[in-house]
Amino acid sequence: MKMRIATISLLLVCAGCSSMGVQPWEREILAREDMQLTADPLEAATDDHIYFSKEASSGGRGFGGGGCGCN
Amino acid sequence: MRLVLSAPLLAAMLLLAAPLSVAADSDFSRDKYEGKVVVLDFWASWCGPCRRSFPWLNEMHHKYQQDGLVVIGVNLDANEDDAAEFLKDYPADFRIIFDRDAALATEYGVEAMPSSYVIGRDGELKASHRGFKVRQQDEYEAILTEALGEQP
Amino acid sequence: MAAVGSAAVGAGATKMTVANRKKERSVSATLAAATCALLGTTVAAPVDAQEEPTWDFNTSLLYYGEDENRVQDISLKSIIRRLFDDDRTLSLGITIDSLTGATPSGAIRQDGPQSFTRPSGNSAYTEAGGKLPLDDTFLDTRLAITAGWQQPAGEKGLFSVGMSTSKEYDYLHIGVNASYGHDFNNRNTTLSAGFAFANDSIEPVGGAPTPFSGMLDVGDTSNRIGDQDKDVLDVILGVSQVINKNLLVQANYSFSQSDGYLNNPYKVLSLVDGVTGDTLPRIPGPNGGPSGQYLFESRPDERTQHSLYTQAKYFMNGKVLDASYRFLTDDWEIDSHTLDLRYRLPIGDTRYIEPHVRYYTQSEAEFYRLSLDSSAALPQFASSDYRLGNFDAITAGLKYGWKTRNDNDMSIRLEWYQQSGTVPTVQLIGNQGSRDNYPDLNAVIMQFSYRFSR
Repeated sequence: MKMRIATISLLLVCAGCSSMGVQPWEREILAREDMQLTADPLEAATDDHIYFSKEASSGGRGFGGGGCGCN
Repeated sequence: MRLVLSAPLLAAMLLLAAPLSVAADSDFSRDKYEGKVVVLDFWASWCGPCRRSFPWLNEMHHKYQQDGLVVIGVNLDANEDDAAEFLKDYPADFRIIFDRDAALATEYGVEAMPSSYVIGRDGELKASHRGFKVRQQDEYEAILTEALGEQP
Repeated sequence: MAAVGSAAVGAGATKMTVANRKKERSVSATLAAATCALLGTTVAAPVDAQEEPTWDFNTSLLYYGEDENRVQDISLKSIIRRLFDDDRTLSLGITIDSLTGATPSGAIRQDGPQSFTRPSGNSAYTEAGGKLPLDDTFLDTRLAITAGWQQPAGEKGLFSVGMSTSKEYDYLHIGVNASYGHDFNNRNTTLSAGFAFANDSIEPVGGAPTPFSGMLDVGDTSNRIGDQDKDVLDVILGVSQVINKNLLVQANYSFSQSDGYLNNPYKVLSLVDGVTGDTLPRIPGPNGGPSGQYLFESRPDERTQHSLYTQAKYFMNGKVLDASYRFLTDDWEIDSHTLDLRYRLPIGDTRYIEPHVRYYTQSEAEFYRLSLDSSAALPQFASSDYRLGNFDAITAGLKYGWKTRNDNDMSIRLEWYQQSGTVPTVQLIGNQGSRDNYPDLNAVIMQFSYRFSR
């Protein structure tokens, strides 16, 4: 039930997505290394492994998007 | 083969040619370049593929300048200093103009960085490409030679 | 769609610009290449060099240490990437872990000493009275390897495929994964989908014990059922959205299905008296053995998890806030919430400091039991593994990073991880109520990283 509500809200958010954003030439900040969703992949992989070993939850993170939008 | 022949020629031209000044204005109008083929390349200092495109743009500039090719790099950095830093590492032998308020970018409908627009001798938009793919350089060049081959 | 760093340009004119080569420098707003991550396998590369780098090496040394003689881990990890033309990347990851120390066996504390047979069945060990029984059989070295290929698909797509494998003395993992992401709305929106499939073989020392069978004397391996395996399928769907020049958000839905042997073959539960809550005694055999009645745990043979993860990256005048929240629920009745905050503060042009706080809470699995009541019927499943219990955890730490003279990246971080849990009151029997039953955890995490491109 909780999952259903969460997923529907996510889809509603997506519906409003088409009007948001920046022009291709306004992506200077988004191109920064520290503005990437996974800025430090080594630290992220290390943490994922530690918490997977010590807790009952794992995963969730993933993928790209943002960035300089080049090519 | 072509690269070997042009290398010493390019070296000579670089030594002899005066460095092209960066235009302080963002003024661009097609009338100025009537009869020439213009490549309008929109770039910014933070754009990775732009770094790869500059050497190629330089090559095209030197190769086809006498045939009537005009390469213009349109900078879209919010901060001019960033553009200057970029140009120190990736010098441009072609003309650079600044599109501070992105008026030109909006007019041409820039959708990706970098974007290139080829304007023919007749002033009409001939072709455009979004992004810069190293492996498609020959295709890009073919578009230029085709545009250069046309009569004004 | 973010671009990935690429190989050197091959055009003749490059030779000219290379002729006036200066020392490598970074553009004031450091460039980013693609970040494409699927289920823990992540790649990202800054493009710093004047000539486009073709190799990227990212290596770290980690120390993880729990207090009270528990687990200690030293780990060397390296991600090596070969960058090809036009954002195509081949990556190889290698991790070597060396684990030592003890881990709770699942048996409860008693006032008097207790003895247990080691998982191998070859010898016994004793735990002093009043102490939490820890099994120190774990001296292990683990090797993990990942490999991946990533490339653009058309103008707006990004495709990646990879495999992973890991081996330790009693465990073998093999997995494959793939993902695809597509840009919309002028590259402001990215929709992604990915999956990972793994098969893990568990070869416990001495062979897996029959669930709910009793721990036997030294030399007695009659309750073993041999090697086991399990399959895990993960599916993830995500959307990321640029909100404005300074703000990027992401939301992912994940589904995970595990089937097969999901037990921990080394963990036991104490079988206790229904009134006193003390472990039922047992006379150990002549060669040694358990001093009490301990039953090996039993978990369901399937597990379905759903999770919703959201993240925001917010740039505020040079500082970057990274905030994420994950909600997870599964059919073992575990619910968890994870809130993670990182705040990167630049120091000049080349250094930064990044405080980090993580808050985690989970509810216990439906079959989590502190101990088994001998006066009641045996439940269908039971485990006293503290990792399936009800606990809160906090991580607090600091990371310091800097660019070296050659424009390479180094960083160190120091963090504290603390878990504190509670046993549901209804499960406490007799004397158990007066003891500290939950094996709280205190660990320190130290990591040093070095990254360079060539």
